Amino acid sequence: MTRHPLARSLLRIGAMAAKETIHVRRDPRTLALALVMPVVMLFLFGYGVTTDLDRIPLLFADQDQSEASRALARAFDGSREFEVVGRPAPEGVEPLLRRGYAVAALVVPRGYQQDLLLGREAQVQLILDGADPLVGNQVLAKADAIARVESWRLAGATFAGVQPPLQVKSWTRYNPEGRSALYMVPGLSAFLLAITAVMLTALAIAGEWERGSMEQLFASPVGRLEIVLGKLLPYLVLGLLELLLVVAFGALVFDVPIRGSLPLIMLFGLVFLAGMLGQGLFISVVAKNQLVATQAGALSAMLPAIILSGMIFPIENMPLPLQAFSRLIPSRYLVHGLRGILLKGNGLSVLWPDLLAMALFAVAILGLATARFKRRVA
Amino acid sequence: MSERPSDSWRTARRQLTAVFRKEVRQTIRDRRVMVLLIVAPLVQTVMFGFAVDFDVDRVPTVLVDLDRSDESRLHARRVLADRTLRHAGDLPGVPEADLALDDGRAAAALVFPPGLARDLAAGRPAEVQLLLDGSDPNRAMVASGAASRYFGEVGERLIRERLEAAGRPAPAQVVLAPRVLYNPRLKTAPYVVPGIAGTLLVIVTTLVTAMGLSREREMGTMEQVLVTPIRPLWLLIGKLLPFLVIGIFDVLLLVAVGSWVFEVPLRGSLLVGATGVLLYLFSTLGVGLLISTLSQNQQQAFLGGFIFMMPAILLSGVMTPIRGMPGWLQVITWFNPVRHFAEVMRGVLMRGAGFGDLWFQLGFLVLLGVGVMALAAARFRTQLG
Repeated sequence: MTRHPLARSLLRIGAMAAKETIHVRRDPRTLALALVMPVVMLFLFGYGVTTDLDRIPLLFADQDQSEASRALARAFDGSREFEVVGRPAPEGVEPLLRRGYAVAALVVPRGYQQDLLLGREAQVQLILDGADPLVGNQVLAKADAIARVESWRLAGATFAGVQPPLQVKSWTRYNPEGRSALYMVPGLSAFLLAITAVMLTALAIAGEWERGSMEQLFASPVGRLEIVLGKLLPYLVLGLLELLLVVAFGALVFDVPIRGSLPLIMLFGLVFLAGMLGQGLFISVVAKNQLVATQAGALSAMLPAIILSGMIFPIENMPLPLQAFSRLIPSRYLVHGLRGILLKGNGLSVLWPDLLAMALFAVAILGLATARFKRRVA
Repeated sequence: MSERPSDSWRTARRQLTAVFRKEVRQTIRDRRVMVLLIVAPLVQTVMFGFAVDFDVDRVPTVLVDLDRSDESRLHARRVLADRTLRHAGDLPGVPEADLALDDGRAAAALVFPPGLARDLAAGRPAEVQLLLDGSDPNRAMVASGAASRYFGEVGERLIRERLEAAGRPAPAQVVLAPRVLYNPRLKTAPYVVPGIAGTLLVIVTTLVTAMGLSREREMGTMEQVLVTPIRPLWLLIGKLLPFLVIGIFDVLLLVAVGSWVFEVPLRGSLLVGATGVLLYLFSTLGVGLLISTLSQNQQQAFLGGFIFMMPAILLSGVMTPIRGMPGWLQVITWFNPVRHFAEVMRGVLMRGAGFGDLWFQLGFLVLLGVGVMALAAARFRTQLG
């Protein structure tokens, strides 16, 4: 045979890939899990996650028992933001908050109506369970807005005919209804890709070391690098399939728009996956057994992808050292890139830095992993 | 058997110690495993405790001042003063602001229209515009809240001034005086740290148990042990016990670090906390065992563990509030041990809650733990028998 060496090498990589594909196919449970799980997660998360609360359970401790205090209770209860779930005495408030029965309580002091009638400031105490700061901040903002509206209403007679002299008008772009699904789907797809790619490769390759079959592969005429490439290839395809599935599902079920180009999404997916597969390979070479590989994979890929990628928590809010550290997490760039492509219709002219960063990570980690791999084999 | 009860008890104890000692040795021998089980959770708790912050501020905002008056400059400076909005530059016009939102340089743009100062002086209604990047709805809400609060206050003040100037009485006003309990500065870390601890415990207990037992099955060593006179039940307990110990150790470590680094308070009784921890570990170990009986090899065990872990973490209320979920999903979270663990820990640490306050969470942990463990043990025995 006088075929070009490159062609022969490609053939061997193909053979390795075919072997690995058979492995994956023979284990339909793994395959099903890898493809079904993302859809289930997307479904749960798309529906499950909103940071904007309504009907926040509120206690109303009314010491005034007047027309005005009842009007205040109606103002809170009637807004969809709060729901009055109990009217305890003021000393009954704290036990109910401690139990988590309600999140906040309004205590209306005696003389509330009197103060209002005299045109004075009427103070109402807002007691708030601060244990969950996300909820706490919302309660503060929403209660403040309702109290302001109530003030306007009470002042109605005096203000008649007066228009507010200065107002702010908001226009929200990309996601005017503020739907959380639009925010979550791009983030979640990055996360799911990171997990499956890192974990499945790390496990598959660590498994070969553990069972000793890796040494057998080395005895074959297939080169070291070719083994690696061949083994990674099927997982690359699986990852891209997953990405398509998630984007399609997001578009169909949650109306996530695809404003940018689909090929660009695939390009982002490809570069990202290359890095993740490299990370999986690196872990497997260092770990040698599957138990260690999973732990290392879970801790190095999964949690950073949730917490440091900007998927849920905005990166701008992190302390500076962590912001710097998050630049080493490829998920960060994929989350940003996918949001840009899907929601804003960004193209390469805006998103090239993300692509570049992921490419750098991929080259670095793949280089590192193959170097370790070769040294281990030698 | 003709053994007297005390004899059988002694054998049981001997068998249990033997298995326990073997498992501990095996775990300790692999240093990397020990590092992953103890050091990694510690590092991650600290890192994520710092990373996670629900309190959105410093939203990058560009200013488009088309009025260029003292009035507009004053409001621009004041609206940025409370640091919820961060000044990210000035742009000459609205199209440029649109571009800045597009490429992510800014998440909000505040536009002062031409003639703002003139309109205000003449008593005509004026309007400031706020363009928002809605791709992160929470951030958009915070930004618009900050802007409308500021301009609402300005508007009210102007009205009062005008009424006073016209000699009419100022209207009454409802003022809220907030008092925040348990976490007065609304810091995120005390809320998140118990949840992150729960998450990491799933990794070090459920995943490790599921994979460790599947590995024994894969290698056939489980069958070898069964030839020995050891009872399957003692074998099982002896295998799970070391991970229970590691789990408890991790909890102690994380609570200590939480209170030291993040000033997580410790207001409640340790007894209630310890009960919660034990019940929680019982259920996560049970899930690990159940998964191992359902899978043939480590890869499947991992995926099984993963299938449990993902929804358990994401639907635990640690990342996003459970109250924001639809009703049917809230019911599903009742069966999530991570949720109950996080709530028990937060209750004990921050609110000083006791058994009476946490009966719902603790009850569900008992129910889940006993149910899962019984199911898993039954499957384990039939598989070995």
